[in-house]
Amino acid sequence: MSQSSDPRQPSAARPFKPPAVLPQDLPVDYSGFIAVVFGVAGVMFRYKLSSWLAIIFSVQSFANMKNMENDLKQISMGMMFAIMGLVTNYFGPNRPAPQK
Amino acid sequence: MAWPPPPLFASLSNLLCLLSVLCLLITHLSTSFVLADSHFEGFEADDEDETLVSADPLQFSNLRSPPVSHSGTPPDITKITTPETDLPDSNPTPFPSPDKSATSVDPSKPASAGFDYWDEDEFEGLPVAEQQKQATEPSKDAKDGAVPQDSVAGQESIPIASPRKRSYAIEIVCISFLIMFAINYFTGKRENENIALAWAAKFAGRDSIFEKNFSLLGVGEGDDSPLLLKEGLNVFKFYASGRRYCQGLLATMELKSRHDLISRIYNMVVPCKDEISFEVYMNDDAMDNVIFAMAKKKAAKGMQKELRDLQRFAGLLSPPSGRKWVQEEMSVISESKEVAGDMITDAVLDQVFGEKSFENFGKGFISMHFSDQHPGPHNKMLLFKFALPDFNNMADMTRLVALIPYYIDFVGRYKLSPQVRSKTEAARAKAAQEAYRELQNARQEELQKRKAEKKKLMEDAEARLSAEALRKKEAKERARQMKKAMPRMKMTRGH
Repeated sequence: MSQSSDPRQPSAARPFKPPAVLPQDLPVDYSGFIAVVFGVAGVMFRYKLSSWLAIIFSVQSFANMKNMENDLKQISMGMMFAIMGLVTNYFGPNRPAPQK
Repeated sequence: MAWPPPPLFASLSNLLCLLSVLCLLITHLSTSFVLADSHFEGFEADDEDETLVSADPLQFSNLRSPPVSHSGTPPDITKITTPETDLPDSNPTPFPSPDKSATSVDPSKPASAGFDYWDEDEFEGLPVAEQQKQATEPSKDAKDGAVPQDSVAGQESIPIASPRKRSYAIEIVCISFLIMFAINYFTGKRENENIALAWAAKFAGRDSIFEKNFSLLGVGEGDDSPLLLKEGLNVFKFYASGRRYCQGLLATMELKSRHDLISRIYNMVVPCKDEISFEVYMNDDAMDNVIFAMAKKKAAKGMQKELRDLQRFAGLLSPPSGRKWVQEEMSVISESKEVAGDMITDAVLDQVFGEKSFENFGKGFISMHFSDQHPGPHNKMLLFKFALPDFNNMADMTRLVALIPYYIDFVGRYKLSPQVRSKTEAARAKAAQEAYRELQNARQEELQKRKAEKKKLMEDAEARLSAEALRKKEAKERARQMKKAMPRMKMTRGH
């Protein structure tokens, strides 16, 4: 009868062990992918807006990051492309001459 | 579970990498190329501006007049024009060094203003002497040409200012969006944490439901272990263990992505709810052959189709007559009527699922699924899925949470009647047999594949071997032939 009054069984307690998730089973990081696509497009076509979008999406992907090592690669790739696109856009050699 | 998209995804990103390297190369090449040009461009633009400021437009259009007016200074022209035509620039700016010509020509011939004009694009490739002749000849032509020249100059002076002005809009929008994103990130994060903590305080704090039912709470070891495990910014996990009939309970809160401005905007269009799902891992000896699920009508149909155990063993049940049953919009999936009838007890109907109480207490209910044939590492599981109420109204879901220990005890004690059990056991045996057969088939296939591979390998080796033998044989043959073909000589001694 005592069993039914207190359902707790300390002897049966098992500590939590997080289930191992394989890296390929993780959900796909779409925003990181989009960031890379926009970043590459921004560098290729020297299109400012695309580079900015790449930065926004890589920031989003960074905000949603769950697994440190796995996602960081892609995010850093997208970020790098975005920054490179912006640098070539703003400090690139073919900028318009400063006006006097 | 092998999931096909990720490898594809990985290969895609690999491809992107390659592409990016290629485009880097291109950009590098193009920058060096443009760099060479840009020197000219920069100088030109500056000079142009200066002349624009200094000389009035009439004189400006005259800059190219020297060939006409001064037939005595042809070398000057060639000097000016030839390097320009050689330039690989796509939009040839027509004034390479207007300063020089302006200073040399303007004071001497101010009168011949708009008349003659040298369009070197028009006369490209002609020898210099001929060019002069032609240029002196039609002064009318030159007048026509002067107009587009002016317009070109006008066009060129405009884009210096306009793209900068236009581009600021993009930057302002993007940077303000990023700032908003950052602010939203911190506020949203705080909001989600507050919801999760409110839930934990309500249901896993002192004298709470889980405290009274489980001896171990929290994800760590020891007494003061953290209750919640944060997995990402919108996923929180809560673990409890140490109860009769079950090994443990794992609750996963999936909140809205409040920290993410983009998904927040998306959720304005496609609304979603904060959800909490409980997985109870039952002891193997504590659960009979029970397959039972309950959800809203539409969701139930989806579950019946998608979840393997429901699809395999259970079907949608129509509400029985002459008995109190669950609320109308819910539907029940079960293996047999008896199981369903036993699972939906009067107490549950009275507390949550009945007509009256559902309005007040069952709002957050999404689904419930008990199965002893769950795919995955744990076969015997009870799954519950509820919508989380507001951060202030956590008490609304008290009765829903109370369902969990109730059903753990209920299912743990539940025993099927003999005839139903024999039926369910037959079904499970059949399923197991099928699974076994499938496994056998797969194994056989694998074996056959390996065999074929081995055979192929052997054949290959044999072929190589035989090829070698054949070559040897051929070589021998040839040697013999050669021997035969050779003139027979008899070695004799001369004396």
